[in-house]
Amino acid sequence: MFELFGTVFEVFMRTYPGFLEATVVTLQLTAIGVILGTVIGLVFALMKISGSKILQWIANIYITVIRGTPLIVQIMFLYFGIVEIYTMSNFWAGAIALGVHNGAYIAEIFRGAIQGVDPGQREASMSLGMNRKQTMQRIVFPQALRRSIPPLGNQFIITLKDSSLVYIIGVAEIFSLANREAAQSFQPFESFLVVALYYLVLVMIFTYLLRWYENRLDVDKT
Amino acid sequence: MIIGENIHKSFGDLEVLKGVDLHVQPQEVVVLVGVSGSGKSTLLRCFNFLEMINEGSITIDGKKVDPKKDNLTKIRAEVGMVFQHFNLFPHKTVLENVIEAPITVKKMNKEKAKKLGLELLEKVGLSDKADVYPSKLSGGQKQRVAIARSLAMEPKVMLFDEPTSALDPELVGEVLQVMKQLAEEGMTMVVVTHEMKFAKEVADRIIMIDQGTIIESADPENFFGNPQHERTRQFIQLVE
Repeated sequence: MFELFGTVFEVFMRTYPGFLEATVVTLQLTAIGVILGTVIGLVFALMKISGSKILQWIANIYITVIRGTPLIVQIMFLYFGIVEIYTMSNFWAGAIALGVHNGAYIAEIFRGAIQGVDPGQREASMSLGMNRKQTMQRIVFPQALRRSIPPLGNQFIITLKDSSLVYIIGVAEIFSLANREAAQSFQPFESFLVVALYYLVLVMIFTYLLRWYENRLDVDKT
Repeated sequence: MIIGENIHKSFGDLEVLKGVDLHVQPQEVVVLVGVSGSGKSTLLRCFNFLEMINEGSITIDGKKVDPKKDNLTKIRAEVGMVFQHFNLFPHKTVLENVIEAPITVKKMNKEKAKKLGLELLEKVGLSDKADVYPSKLSGGQKQRVAIARSLAMEPKVMLFDEPTSALDPELVGEVLQVMKQLAEEGMTMVVVTHEMKFAKEVADRIIMIDQGTIIESADPENFFGNPQHERTRQFIQLVE
């Protein structure tokens, strides 16, 4: 037991400069994945709540396909698909794959948040003479946005962990570093234990930050 | 002010309104009563086009409304509505709630709207709450803000849909007081309520709706003193 502790510590000390660099890559992937996913999600959520059958149909196909296939397949598919047509770094191919993947989940978060706003809010707004667009922009969306912050936070944490899968296309994030370390040092157990700790600490930090932010939002309103 | 003729409204197979005729005169206060499910709230919501009628016609301020052609947004702006559950905007302060529609719909400038908003809050006795969020208010205060919010559009008629039904008993009075004041100032009002004391004191006319039709329409004295319909007698016994 004590011996294991020693070797883990030894691996940690030997690898942390590389890991810190790779952590930055992981966080960048996560941030781009979530931001891109938010933009895509917003567009598809609006398509889903629009009256247009065609737009709803397109959004449904996108969401069904993305949610019905593994992320790792999407990464490979996008990587080989995009790189065929357009030269792009592995990093960006991975980040875009994460964004496209997230878009489907975030679309559902936004749609749920918009439809979750009390119908009485819409009625009150309409009864005051506001039209559909004004009602959406000024009454429904601001409330929906606030409602979607906790699930978006969850999605951020899921993405942080999911970003490990882009190791498959050779992006130098923390999991790929652990993978290489495991092979080179013949200490796979210790290497993966160390990377697990990195993820755990990152997730805990962001969970804490999110909780703090949510509490701050609650104090004033609703 | 409002003329409803032969109003029919169904939700699926359920016919809620079965040919209702109702004329509301300018400055008149009409109280609609009836057991729950009788159709009184639905009738009120039809007058504001939150529900679309299946048959019949609605004329507001001398203009017959065609829901297909007319700009309903414009008509709704002239018909104020107060809801049972207040429906204040939780992400806006009390004053912002009141001035939202004048600024967004009437394009009133912000200074002028604020002045109007504060006057209206003064009127409902809540000028000290202008900058707080609705979550900090009691139910009675929320409903008074909702009334001020409706008045800010300077409606020609005000509809009240059970405005005190969601309130604790001790908070009912402050809301009724504001409504009474409005009635005295000559506002045209259609009120769905179970507050019989209010109906007796304030209404010009009380209308009993039962199973989607009007079965009794009389001034308070005759409504309570000399009801014509058996169902009305039962209802009065029930509520008194």
